[in-house]
Amino acid sequence: MSLLLQLAMRNVQRNARRSLLTALMISTGAAFLILGMAWVDGVFKGAMAKGALFVGHVRAVTPAYSAKEQFFPLEENIADTAPVVAALASTPGIAGAYPRIQMGVTVTASEEIGENFGLLVGAPDELYTRWLALDRSLTEGRLAKADDEVVIGLTIADQTGAKLGQEIVVLGQTQDGSMSPAKLTVVGLYDLGSANQNKMMYVTLEKARWLADIPDGATEVVAYVGGDVANELVAAEARAVPALSGLDVKAWNERAPFDSFTGVIGTIQAITAGVVVLITALGVLNTMLMSVLERTAEIGVLRAMGMRLWPTLVMVVMEAFAIAVVGGLIGVAVGGVLAWAWLERHGINLGAAVKGLPSAIPINSIVYGDLQASQLVTAFVLGLAMALVGALLPAIRAAGIQPVEAMRFRR
Amino acid sequence: MRLFLAVLLVLATASPAWAATVPEILAKVDANLTYDTRETTVTMTVTKGDRVKVYKMHSYGRGQDEGSVEYLEPARDKGTKMYRNASELWLWMPSVEKVQKISGHMLRQSMMGSDLSYEDMMQAQKWQALYDGTLAGEEACGAGKCWKIDLKAKSPDISYPRRVVWVDQATYVPVKQELYALSGMLLKTWDMGNVKDVAGRKYPMSMTISDKVQAGSSTTLTFENVTFSVKVADEVFSARWLER
Repeated sequence: MSLLLQLAMRNVQRNARRSLLTALMISTGAAFLILGMAWVDGVFKGAMAKGALFVGHVRAVTPAYSAKEQFFPLEENIADTAPVVAALASTPGIAGAYPRIQMGVTVTASEEIGENFGLLVGAPDELYTRWLALDRSLTEGRLAKADDEVVIGLTIADQTGAKLGQEIVVLGQTQDGSMSPAKLTVVGLYDLGSANQNKMMYVTLEKARWLADIPDGATEVVAYVGGDVANELVAAEARAVPALSGLDVKAWNERAPFDSFTGVIGTIQAITAGVVVLITALGVLNTMLMSVLERTAEIGVLRAMGMRLWPTLVMVVMEAFAIAVVGGLIGVAVGGVLAWAWLERHGINLGAAVKGLPSAIPINSIVYGDLQASQLVTAFVLGLAMALVGALLPAIRAAGIQPVEAMRFRR
Repeated sequence: MRLFLAVLLVLATASPAWAATVPEILAKVDANLTYDTRETTVTMTVTKGDRVKVYKMHSYGRGQDEGSVEYLEPARDKGTKMYRNASELWLWMPSVEKVQKISGHMLRQSMMGSDLSYEDMMQAQKWQALYDGTLAGEEACGAGKCWKIDLKAKSPDISYPRRVVWVDQATYVPVKQELYALSGMLLKTWDMGNVKDVAGRKYPMSMTISDKVQAGSSTTLTFENVTFSVKVADEVFSARWLER
């Protein structure tokens, strides 16, 4: 084995420039893999985790509401949320459960009822402070305490020209379809980092109940899981509670759009990695094929001297691995530094690209990477994989060289 | 011979009900349902599934296109006013002291969650002007008989491009209507009943409109103290009236 290694190392140095280029190819592939994985993980952990907070780790709604959810159907409400809240709160794993109403409204700060649309949310104060950290996202003012107060996002403020202390008029509908207007004083402005998230307006639960004319109920009851417990398991336990039978109870990642989104992210990562590995492997393949071709006569001599099939194959693969180790280490170093210094600190500004996303997926305009040690190991291992894939065909070719024919071979 | 001639004369001059033409029928229907001015109190009961909401309104109408409504009950909606003129409608919301203008396709939206659109509620247009009709026969309806008339809109921008109406031959009130979309889909049915003599016309004091697109949804209008050709101040038919 040590002889094979010596031969492999000698061959690597024989054409140093070519070996270096191949190593560079592998290092570039590895670096791209690290950057890609760090960024996707950043999107996933950042946006998905944030999204889960906004939609609730576990949620209970009526099945009819679930079926028409994109229209915020107020008439499909839970008429009395008290028993539902109690049932969810007593489910193992749940740290808090809250009724919540979401309704589409038009908003105006001027004399004319305008065409600015927003989403009005009414929930208990604890949901805003303990889970949404809305108070920490305020740029001005405070949270709403009274029923005629509202906290609005910067997008709404920009669209309507509303300022702190100003009165705005929101116009929604009751669950019966009657017009439901209200005058609210802006007591706070918030910035949650994305234009979609900043289109919401937060009021007290009582105000939302009055606007929707749902005195004791809400459109949904959202619950939050404390500790490191799989949300789906908690949701499954909640579904078994008799008080929640007849309701649609799901974990956030069991609901649209997250259920398809999480699958898509995994697929994107796998496809991206596959493409990078394939392209880099093609480069390695090219290098190793040239190397084997140039040494056809030499390999023939070695075979004639007694080197069997398997060691010949291993020798060629070792050459590629040696290059891959160097390239992989360089790639991991460069990729790791870039991911740490640039992606984690400065992020990538997606700008207008995130505007069309549903507000349930709160991807910020600037997305930061999330570098993990596992990504570095994965990239290095994939670098070796690139070498293995690229070297296999040339290795098989080298192993198949007939000594007599090889010795007759002239370059 | 004289008896034979007498019978022949009676038969020749008799006007059986089925001999009435569609224009004649529509003219009498319009005479019953349209007015120069009208004032009434209306109770509107909206039923959606097991939820029932009751509104009480005071309504003024002038001609075919002008109408004003003020909500009296429930307390939440008291003081809400609407004024309609031709193709625009203004809605006054007392709780926020704002006027909302509703125009264009929005007029065909549901009024206060009912099965009536703003257009349905606040206009009284003559069918003669809007529709061409075909007599589709006679059918029994209630204690009497009705003409069944298929009405097709003359203009593409009419809310209901097709109506099938059953007009009571005794009262010339359309006791039953089917309202269709351009696609042929049945949108609503509109039944009229409790017909009374009011100022020389036959007027239905009760109407029930059922949404055929949304199951379990219906709206009933019950009219009280209906008066026609009343003197209504011009101001009532203006946007100024809304904020008073």
